[in-house]
Amino acid sequence: MTNDEIFAKIQEKFPKIEKAAVQVKNYLTVRLASKDDLMAFAQCLKDSSFDMLETVTATDLLGPVDMKGYIRQQNFNPLLPEGATPQIEAAATPGYPYRPVMDLLWVFFSIKERARVFVRLEVPRENVSVPSLTPLFKSADWQERETFDLLGVRYEGHPNLVKILTPDFTQGHPLRKDYAHIKDRFDE
Amino acid sequence: MILEKLPGLTKGLPGGELLLTTSDYFIDLGRKQSLWPMTFGLACCAIEMMASYASRLDFDRMGVIPRASPRQADVMIVAGTVCKKMAEPILEIYHQMPEPRFVISMGSCANCGGPYYDSYSVLKGVDRIVPVDVYIAGCPPRPEALQYAVVKLQEKIAKMSLKKGLATSQQEKGSRDINA
Repeated sequence: MTNDEIFAKIQEKFPKIEKAAVQVKNYLTVRLASKDDLMAFAQCLKDSSFDMLETVTATDLLGPVDMKGYIRQQNFNPLLPEGATPQIEAAATPGYPYRPVMDLLWVFFSIKERARVFVRLEVPRENVSVPSLTPLFKSADWQERETFDLLGVRYEGHPNLVKILTPDFTQGHPLRKDYAHIKDRFDE
Repeated sequence: MILEKLPGLTKGLPGGELLLTTSDYFIDLGRKQSLWPMTFGLACCAIEMMASYASRLDFDRMGVIPRASPRQADVMIVAGTVCKKMAEPILEIYHQMPEPRFVISMGSCANCGGPYYDSYSVLKGVDRIVPVDVYIAGCPPRPEALQYAVVKLQEKIAKMSLKKGLATSQQEKGSRDINA
């Protein structure tokens, strides 16, 4: 089954779904219109032989990293005079469309067809909450926990949405761009 | 220990000091020629550590035999990045080792955080939680560097004596109570 055939099948049932502007490699990349479609869409994919959920992840698209709050000294070069411009500045890629959204991603794989579908969904990055896919795919469990731990995406309906990677005393979600490190007992 | 059981050994007995020095020599000799490290790899430095155990570089000839249990180990080689989540297990393992115990901090990460100095999750040097006897620079250090560290540790052990209480200055400092 080629990408176009898969996409035609998807469009029969979900006419609102369109192809994403940027395709991931050679795989079919679609963008959901809203998070309400997600459950029905995942169910439809599962029924049409896409029975394996490979990846659940997200990207924070809010501008470059703010160095504030990190332990690094702003002006680490001892040869620079006092009050010189700090050499460490947040590096931005010019022309990249930074915006305050969280770009969520699910990757479905069809073992029978040997095809992948990348499903993207953009939501405002504050208080992100999307339905959990754990009722349909068991593999979503820990990956959703990881995404919650590192990026603060809340998956509604997840049976046990708690931290999985960072230790208990880490506050906040470290991969969010506005994360500011709060010193814990190991930072002096 | 000996001084506690035989307090008159050094003063009452003629030649007591000499006896003590001679026993020091033999105790230290036995101690330094059979340093058993705990197999304790945390990151890529562990690969170099494994290489030094292997036949090409042959750690066994120096009496270094890796042990799988902290109860049988004399020295802990902290090989790799110490995450904050790993800090508490390291302390626990350190306290499970019988005294006298030694710590070798291997590589930049274990010395000071290394390339992860800015990270939210990495402990900036294992010496923040346990006393370190020998530091090895490098990212990762070569197996020869690890063996050199063991030689240096042996030199250090050779200076230990019963009179001083059988502790290096690092050990007297003790480990850190992270709950304090």
